[in-house]
Order: sequence, then structure tokens, then C-alpha cells
Amino acid sequence: MALRGWLMAITVALIVVSLGLFLRRLNTIFQVMRKARPARRGDHLGERFKSLFTNVVLHRRMFRITYSGVLHYFIFSGFVVLLIDIVETIGEVFFPGFTVGRILAPLVDIWVILVAIGIVLALYQRIIIRPARFHGSDEKDAYLILGMIGAIITGIVIHDSFYPFVAREVFHVADPVARSHFLGYALSGLWRALGWTGPRAASIGYTVGYLMDLGVVFAFLAYLPYSKHLHIFAAVPNIFVRNLGPKGELVPQPIEDSMAIRTFQDLTWKDIHDLYTCTECGRCQAVCPAYAAGQPLSPKMVILELRDALNERIAWGTVNDPTQPALAGGVVSAAELWACTTCGACQEACPVFIEHVPKIAGMRAALLEDGNVDANAQKVLVSWDRQGNSFGQAARKRSAWAKNIDVPIKDARKEAVDWLWFVGDFAALDPRVQRLTQLIARLLHHAGVDFGILFESEVNAGNEALRLGEYGLFETLAQKNIKALNQAQYRHIFTTDPHSLNALKNEYRKFGFHAEVMHYTEAFLTLIDRGQLAVEPVGLTATYHDPCYLGRWNGITEAPRQLLQRLGVNLVEMPRHGAQSFCCGAGGGRIWMDETGIEDRPANQRIREALALPDVRFFVVACPKDVSMFSASVTAMGVEDRLRVVDMAELLAVAVGLPDVAESDLRSFPNEAGILS
Amino acid sequence: MADIVVVGEIQNGVVTDATQELLTRARDLATARSRSVAVLAFGKDAEAAVKTADADEAVVVVDQAVEEYNPGVYEATLVTWLTENPALLILLSNTTMGMDLGAALAARLQIAMIAYCTDLRIEGSSELATCQIYGGKLAAEVELPDRAVVTVIPGSWAASGRSGIPMVHRFNAQPSPISVVKVIEPDASGDVDITRADILVSVGRGIQDPDNLELADELAQAIGGVVSCSRPVVDAGWLPRSRQVGKSGQTVKPKLYLALGISGAPEHLQGMKDAELIVAVNSDENAPIFDVAHYGATADILDLMPALTEKLNGRNG
Amino acid sequence: MRIAVLMKDVPDLVEELEVEDGALPLDDMSFVPSEWDDQALEEALLIKEETGADVTVVAIDTGEVDGLMFTALAKGADRAVKLAGGFSRRLANRQRGAVLAQYCQTQGFDLVMTGVQAIDDLDGQIAGWVAGNLEVGHASVVRDVRAGADTVKVVQEYSGGKMAELELPLPAVLGIQAARKPPRYVTVAKVRQLQKTASVETVDVSEPTAPTLSVRKIYKPEAAGHAQMWGDDVDEVSEKIVNLLEDKKLLRS
Ligand SMILES: Cc1cc2nc3c(=O)[nH]c(=O)nc-3n(C[C@H](O)[C@H](O)[C@H](O)COP(=O)(O)OP(=O)(O)OC[C@H]3O[C@@H](n4cnc5c(N)ncnc54)[C@H](O)[C@@H]3O)c2cc1C
Ligand code: SF4
Ligand code: SF4
Repeated sequence: MALRGWLMAITVALIVVSLGLFLRRLNTIFQVMRKARPARRGDHLGERFKSLFTNVVLHRRMFRITYSGVLHYFIFSGFVVLLIDIVETIGEVFFPGFTVGRILAPLVDIWVILVAIGIVLALYQRIIIRPARFHGSDEKDAYLILGMIGAIITGIVIHDSFYPFVAREVFHVADPVARSHFLGYALSGLWRALGWTGPRAASIGYTVGYLMDLGVVFAFLAYLPYSKHLHIFAAVPNIFVRNLGPKGELVPQPIEDSMAIRTFQDLTWKDIHDLYTCTECGRCQAVCPAYAAGQPLSPKMVILELRDALNERIAWGTVNDPTQPALAGGVVSAAELWACTTCGACQEACPVFIEHVPKIAGMRAALLEDGNVDANAQKVLVSWDRQGNSFGQAARKRSAWAKNIDVPIKDARKEAVDWLWFVGDFAALDPRVQRLTQLIARLLHHAGVDFGILFESEVNAGNEALRLGEYGLFETLAQKNIKALNQAQYRHIFTTDPHSLNALKNEYRKFGFHAEVMHYTEAFLTLIDRGQLAVEPVGLTATYHDPCYLGRWNGITEAPRQLLQRLGVNLVEMPRHGAQSFCCGAGGGRIWMDETGIEDRPANQRIREALALPDVRFFVVACPKDVSMFSASVTAMGVEDRLRVVDMAELLAVAVGLPDVAESDLRSFPNEAGILS
Repeated sequence: MADIVVVGEIQNGVVTDATQELLTRARDLATARSRSVAVLAFGKDAEAAVKTADADEAVVVVDQAVEEYNPGVYEATLVTWLTENPALLILLSNTTMGMDLGAALAARLQIAMIAYCTDLRIEGSSELATCQIYGGKLAAEVELPDRAVVTVIPGSWAASGRSGIPMVHRFNAQPSPISVVKVIEPDASGDVDITRADILVSVGRGIQDPDNLELADELAQAIGGVVSCSRPVVDAGWLPRSRQVGKSGQTVKPKLYLALGISGAPEHLQGMKDAELIVAVNSDENAPIFDVAHYGATADILDLMPALTEKLNGRNG
Repeated sequence: MRIAVLMKDVPDLVEELEVEDGALPLDDMSFVPSEWDDQALEEALLIKEETGADVTVVAIDTGEVDGLMFTALAKGADRAVKLAGGFSRRLANRQRGAVLAQYCQTQGFDLVMTGVQAIDDLDGQIAGWVAGNLEVGHASVVRDVRAGADTVKVVQEYSGGKMAELELPLPAVLGIQAARKPPRYVTVAKVRQLQKTASVETVDVSEPTAPTLSVRKIYKPEAAGHAQMWGDDVDEVSEKIVNLLEDKKLLRS
């Protein structure tokens, strides 16, 4: 009786203290979330539960790294099974004779083994494999947590092994599941051999096991919210409230005052929740092009820096103290923030659906409001404002590319067209890309497509202005375009530029513009499949680079591949492709910024990735910015004779057989036999 | 009292080329209209320098206060002298001094002002000035009013090389509360700021090997310029990023941009297309750099650089 | 300390300049703040940050200068004053100088700053005109303005990288070559907000009587288009380059 009384008292004390601490902490965090900005995440319930299933139960993103996926699955599922043990163990003490039955009991032991394997795998990974993605994570905390989990499963086996003796000698109840706890049962053999089966020895042994199990469980509960492992509780809700709006939509609602993030109150409650969900796994860091380039940015560290600052301010009661360093430029440095290409690889990789890019863009907005912006990017912002393009060219020059080709190009502002073409800045104004733009016009003409453009009424779509944090300018540009688009009459709309595509498709919704905007790869695929454009296979072996704003942010990965197939291109994939593509480094305004600090340009890394593929001599792109980025890399690396950057439009022109397109030029590259398959 | 007054600048003890040009045209106009020319100059070297100038009269101001250019003292002195000796036409070069004093003199004397002049001529009964405006994109033809201050862009026309024997007088410097605290000589040490250089010798991938940069350095020395480059040269680690011209580097507007072995990619052009004078050398006659250059040559830069250096050094003596 | 920054807008050179009948159709052109005036404003704002000076932006109303003024306010200027008198876009600098001087005289500014030049000052730079009319000390082609209690120190630039530090008693007029930092960016939203909350003061002034220049015509000098090519002979090309340098006075004598 004394043993039970004592254990009950200690259990109640543990529950009260740890739950108290746990709830107090959660409440503090909850208070911060309450003061934060709103975010609508209560809609699409069906989809949310489905996503819980795929990402929690099936661990879909976790399994992208098989080793970590497996070990995490073992430990994660152990937590579910741990509940059985907790219920059973507390039941045994509080309600003499309580069992969970012969079916559930052995599950505990099975999972003890799985969790143990998981711990060993985790230790092996952290001590021997040492993936770079852990760089910067709190490894001590990881060991502490693994140690606690180890203690719990050891405790389980120990108290199970003494329970049969305690049941018989002290509680005077039957233990029908004794053998079901096969690990404990096996261990009890040892106690028998040692003769530790009497009431005293059994009580001591049981108490030790009980405390190692429940004592640590409740200590864990109290400690969790202060450690990175709050993710055990936060991950599931965070996945539940993930963003289900269009991926490429950075700002869901028109903004009245400012998108700047200066204090924790400027984050949304979901942003705060994100901070406590991060597991420090570093998957985001591993895919970040800025990090890979040697720049000071790691998306993981952005989250951790914010979280640590928030924890510190909670501890000192200074969360709302305006004299604390600003989040932008203080907690997260300006250099980190401006290094981001907004490629979204981090968000795509994060197993718990943390949203890095909106935070980065919001903090950029704060920097921008204080005038802290790269000088070259500033020039571009001014050009957008004055001329509507990033090239600082007169608005009238926007359609200059259309002058020297004998293809009639309709003015969609004046007459109805079937296809409206939103050309985009780079396609319209970069001298290197203009040639491709002209090809596209000729291809459309060749296909007999009735198409038109908006001439100087088209301005930059504003995708990058928004991502630089210049919401007001984005809105101005968007309104100008929407005005022109609303005046035009068209049945389909497409664009050559993935960045424009993203803005038109995802960011203009909030201003009431809804249209099925297509990328030119989709448009040409449609034309070919409708029989409007006859193509001959070009017979090349090539690799294809998915632009971030096409593949990752808009999920358009299939159309370009099907188009390549129609064109008779033998596609060899780079290791990173589709939604896992690797950014060229141009996005988020980076293309205009100073390159100081870049040790290894992402575009060069990407070219090396392609060069490593066997028999690939062509690097196919479907984004005007990629044309400049990758051609420059090929030039800088001096590999012009090994790899050639070609735009989808060039392949189309050859396949269609446009007269005087340098077909021979493509086919004879690089002047050696064997590349035509 | 002279009709046309040239405000002269003296450097290293002699009248500058720009002042020689002013004197030349002043004399041409004076001859056509039977007028007289005076030159006014400051500093202890002034007397020796203007003694043989092609002017009828030379006024020299010698005073400790005018040894270094001081806008206050110069302006006060000029205003006093010109008030006592009203002139029809006052010519200054469009240098710092011209930019500084031109309009102020016009305001103090309550006469007209014409800036950025590139030509002064007589056409029938009128006297005309041609001026460069809108960053050189437009020219304006202006009638010279009865009295005016004109600032002339150096190098607009050739100096005649004529000399004369002016009557030399002295005039006292007038006081001003403005003082020259210190003179800062050009800084030769440290890394150069390519945005401030008048002449850039800019190299691209055509340089081929880092050892060849020495040729560019020597040329830059000889020409009195600074070496800049395209991005691949920085990528290769041959020159620091501070020397990169272009979109992701510096935007430059030198008086002369000598592009050597640079193809002229749009990102590069963005950083240098507004240079006053662009000379490109590239073995590929179709290189886009020639679309923005004023002069071009298809020579091999590795041969050209030493040849040009030698020619320049030979000339400098 | 009270600082006036004199600003004006000029045709945007990015646009193709079309000449009609020997003149510019100024009313159809787009205008941007003169880049050197932006530099002057930035330098003034830096001084404000250092010393707490009060910065007033002054522009002559020759059309739509409100945008420029609200931008200056959004950047941190304390006041914006528009001098109105039914002026046209063609108002010459001599007239501008007189109008601005007249206004500055009534205000007792300690320091008047403006851009060293503008692309359209055919008849002289504003700094000189204003200083001459006010008969106060001035310096142009300067940067690094350090304002003291009764004097201001500046660095004046000369050709060939030579410079001098000057000290001028206040009041003074400065023509700014470049600010210590590139002009700051101001967001579209902030300008819009200022348009709602701040106002531009309008002061009526009378047109001065000084005569203007008589411009016969404005025309485009012949454009280059493509480089004039010198061939590939190393000797010949070197010779041509040296001659060109001599012509353009780019050789050290
Ligand atoms: C976002 C972005 C930003 C960029 N920013 C910049 C930038 O700021 N600055 C910049 O320069 N580039 C920049 N680039 C790179 C740019 O696109 C070009 O790749 C680069 O300018 C090419 O440099 P280059 O002309 O030296 O090399 P190339 O294009 O390889 O040209 C070398 C030239 O030298 C000629 N040549 C070779 N040997 C000789 C010889 N012996 N004599 C005479 N001529 C010879 C060749 O005919 C060729 O035309 C940027 C690119 C991107 C995508
Ligand atoms: S968006 Fe791309 S560049 Fe930015 S932090 Fe994420 S992975 Fe890095
Ligand atoms: S943000 Fe996501 S991917 Fe990055 S470390 Fe945290 S949990 Fe991992």
C-alpha cells in the first residue's frame, strides 16, 4: 500500500508541476501569437486532414531523405505507442489490476526496439555521417532529447520487468499480460536468477523503472516547450494550418499600411507558430542556393534567430519593448535578407511546412522602408516606378523587338485577339532574349495563331518588386497591367516569363484579376496537340532546368517535359529537377544586386550539375532570365564548347523548321559526331 | 578696358590648354569685330605665364590668398575688376572654376550667362554660341546678347598657338571670408575607385591570362588611367570585384572608356554605355561592343597594348 | 540650422528626345527630379541626421512638381515649399535664380544647397545664380558638407583627382556634386502616405524681369550608331588612339 500511495503522490505531483509548466509556457507563446497579425488558415478542412495524413502518417516529405525518414518514423511512431505505456503504467498504480490487454502490451515492446534502433541511427547520423545541414543547429539539445528518449524506453523495460513481482507481492493482483511485455519478461528472468523478486527488491526495481519512464516523460513535457522539440507538439498543428492558397502567392490580401516586419507583432500567428515548430533539421539549408553560394543566409538560421530572439524577449518580458533590436537588420542581418532568391526551395523541403519566404520578404520591406537596399536594386526600383521596366528604357521601347520582323503583331488594346501575350521585361528588352522573343512571334504566326500584345501599356508584372518588399510599387505596377488587361479582349493569355506568370496568376487575384494564364511551354504544347503546329523531331540529348517560378511555385513541370518529348528531345534529368530544381540565383531581385560574398555562383553550380551528365550537350531553359544567367555562367566557366544553353523557343523553331533559323548551328554543336541521337 | 575678357587658368606655371583655346577664339572674334582682348590670371606664376599670351592686356593678381583656387577671393576680385572694367564677353572654361564662378559673376554683374559652349562664331551680324545640353544628346544654338559670361567646354576647338605681347598690369586680390583649409592631392595609394577615374582601360576575357594584366597596367600608367574589367575577369580572381564594370559591378562614366577584349554583353554595357568616349578593341568584328563604341578596331589586344604603351611613353618623353 | 534644398525636375533622358521645329515639346515629355538635386537633398538629410538641422525643399512650380516634393518629404525633409507665379516649363535659370534668391532672402536660411548642375541649364547653374543674387559666399562642385555653428566645411573637386577643403561662413550656397551616400530609397507607399498627411506650402512670387537668352534652335548632333572602325593594324590603331586622345585633350601634358 505504501508503495502505491507514494507512487500515486509522486505521479500527481509530476503531472501537476510539469503540466503547469507546460501550459504556462504554451500560454506565453499563445499570448505572443494573439498579438500577432492575422492569417486565415481555417478553411479547406478536408484538404487539411488529407495533408495531415500524407505528411504526418505517411511522412511524405520526411522520406525524401530515406535514412532520416526511417529513423524519424521509428522515433515518431514510438511517441504514439508511448501513450499506451503511459496509460498502462499509471493505470497499474492507480487502479490495481489494470492492464491494456494482450494485444496492445507487446506493441510497446516492439516499439521500444524500433525506437532504440531509431536512436542508434540518429546517433550514427549525428556522430559519424554528420550531414552539413545540421551545421548551426543546437546539437547538444538533440543529444539531451535522445538521451531522455533512451531513458524512457529503458525505464519501460525495467518497470515492466519488475511489475510481475510487484503485482504479486505488493499489489496483490494478477498480471495477465506479463509475458506480452516480452522484453520486460525476458529481463525478469535475470531478477529471478538474482533472487530480486521479493517485495522490497521488486518495489525498488519497479520504482526505478517507473521514474525513468514517467518521471522522464513528465520532465520531458515540462522541458519540451523550452527546447527545439516543441515540434513534437507543434508539427502536427503546423502541418494542419499550412498554407493551402496558391503556392506562388506571397501576399494573400491587399495590404493597407505596410508589409514590413519589424517586431514580433508584425509576424502572423502562423509565423510565430512556425518558429516553435522548426526541428532544426536543416533540410531547408541543404537546398538553399544562397547558402550553397557561400552567402550569409541559411533559411534555418533565419527561423532559429527569430525563435531565439523571441525566447529571450519572452524571458525578459521585452517582447513588446520597442527599444529591442529590430527583427530586420538586427535579429536577422540585412546581408542575410538580401541574399535570398525567393526560390522557395526551403519551403518545399521543410517537412513541417514552415514558410520562410513571407518572413524574409516582410523583413526586406522593413529594410527598404529604412532605405537599406542594394544600390543597383534601388536603381531598378526607380526604373520600374518611372519607366515600368527594369532596364531603365523608355516605355515605348518595350515593343521595339517587334519592329524588324515581318510578322503582324496585333495591338490587343485596340482589337480582339485569340491569344494575348504578356511579354515580360526580359523577353522584351534584353538584347540577347529579344531574338528568342522574335522567334516566338514567328512561331505563333507560323501556327496561324491570332495573337497580340499590350505594347507600352504592359509594364513589369511586379513579381520582383513585391519580393524585394516594395508592396506599393508592386501594386502600382499591377494596377497598370490590370487596367490594360481589362481593356483588351482575348480568349487565352500566356507569358514568356515565369516571374510574370506567377504575378499574373497568383498575385493579381487579390485585385480581382482571374485568368488562366499559361506559360509559353504550355501554350505551344496546346498548339502542337491541337495540330496547329507540325513539328519534326530535333533528335538531341538535353537536360532541362525547371525555373523556380514555373516548377516549384506553380507546379508546371510536366508541360515543358511533354513539349520536349513532342520535339523529339531525349531528356536526361539532372539530380535536382521538378519541384526540387536548383535556383539559378536570379530571383527575388538578386539578378540586379551586388555579388560580393558569392563564392560559388548558383548558376555555375547548376552548370556543373549538367556537365556531370553523360552525353548532354544542351541545357534547355524556359525562362528569359535563365538565358542570361546560364549563358553568362557558361562564358565565365569557359565551357562554351561543352554545353550550350538553348531556350525552348530555339528548339521549337528548329522542330517547326522556321526558315533561316540556324538549325545547322544547333545540330552541328559542338562540331563533333555523336551528339545526335 | 577690354571688350573680351578671358579668365585664365594656370597649371604648373603655364597657361592651360583650355585657356589657350579661349584666347584663340577671343582673338578671332575680336579681330572680326575690331575689339580688344584681356586675360586675367591669378597666382605668382601668372605674370610669367601670360606674358606671351595672345591678348592686348594681361591682368595678374598676385597675393598669398590666390595661390590656391579660392572661390570667394576669385569671385570678389573678378567682380571688382569687371565692375571697374566692364567687358562685353567674359570667357571661362567649363572647369570647376567655370562652374563655380560663371553664373555667380553673371548675377553679380547683371548680365547674361551661356554654359556648356562648344562653339562661338560670327554669322552675319550676329554672334552665335553652340551649347551642349541634355547630357550631350542635344545642341542649342544661342545668340550672344550684348554682354554675357560664357563657359566653354575644354577641347571644343583647337588652340592656335599664336602668342602676343600684352600690356601687363597688376590688380589687388579682394578679401573674402571663404578660406582654403587644405589642399588634398590625388591619392595614389589604396584601392582605386573606378567610378572617379577619367580614363578606364577595361579588360575582358580577351586578356586570356592573368599575366597579361601587366600589359594593361602599363598601358593604364602610360595613359594616366585606371584598369577596370568585365565580370569573368573578376570571377577568375584576376582583379578585385571593385574593378568590375556592369550591372552587378560599378556604373562608370569616364571621359574615355577603352574596352579591350570585351564582347559587350548587355550586363556589361549597362555599366559603361554613358561614357563620354568609348573606344573598343576586339578581334571579332561582330562583337556587340561596337554598337555602343564611338571608335573600334579589330586588332589583337595582346599586340595592341604594348604598342600603344610604347607610343604614349615615347610621346611623354 | 535651417537648410534650403533647391530642386527642379528635368526631362527624362531615358525617353527618346524629339525635337519639333527647333524646340523641345516640353509639355509632352516626362520629367524626373534632376539627379544632382537628389544628391543635394541626400547630403542635406545626412546633415539633418547629424545635427538636427531643419530641411526645407524649395521648387518653382513649373508644372507637376508635387511628386518631387512629396518624395522629398517622405525621405525626411521637414517642409516643402512651392513657389508659384504661373511659370512655364521653359523658365530659364536666370529667372529661376532670381525667384529662388528672392524667396531665400525672406527666409534667412543658413545654408542653401542644390545640385551642381542639371542637364538643361543652358544659361548657367542655379547655385551660381542664387549665390550671385543673394551676394553670399558659395562653392560648387563640392561634397562632404560638414556644417558647424557659423561655418560650413566642404570638399571641392578639381580635375585629375585634386581636391581642397574649403570653409565658408554661413549663410552660404553650395552646388553639390555628390552626397556622401547614394540618395536613399523611399517606398511608393510612404510617398502616398505623405500625400495624405503632409502638405506642400505654396508661396506666390512675381516673375522677375531679367532678359532671357534667345535660342535660335535646338537640334540633335549626329548620332554614332555604330563605331567608326579603324581596322586591325596595330601600329595604325595605336596612332589613331593617340591622335584621338590629343584631340580630346585627354593626354597629360
Ligand atoms: C545577372 C548578371 C549580371 C552580370 N553582371 C555583369 C557585370 O556587372 N559586368 C560584366 O562585365 N558582365 C556581367 N555579366 C556577365 C555578362 O553576361 C558576360 O558574360 C560578360 O560580360 C562577358 O565578359 P567578356 O566580354 O569579358 O567575355 P566574352 O564575352 O567571352 O568576350 C571576350 C571577347 O574578347 C574577344 N577577344 C578574345 N581574344 C582577343 C584578343 N586577343 N584580342 C582582341 N579581342 C579578343 C572575343 O572576340 C570576345 O568578344 C552578368 C551576367 C548576369 C547574368
Ligand atoms: S527562398 Fe531559396 S534562397 Fe531564399 S532562403 Fe529559401 S532556399 Fe534560400
Ligand atoms: S525550417 Fe523546416 S526544413 Fe528548415 S530546419 Fe526548420 S524544420 Fe527543418
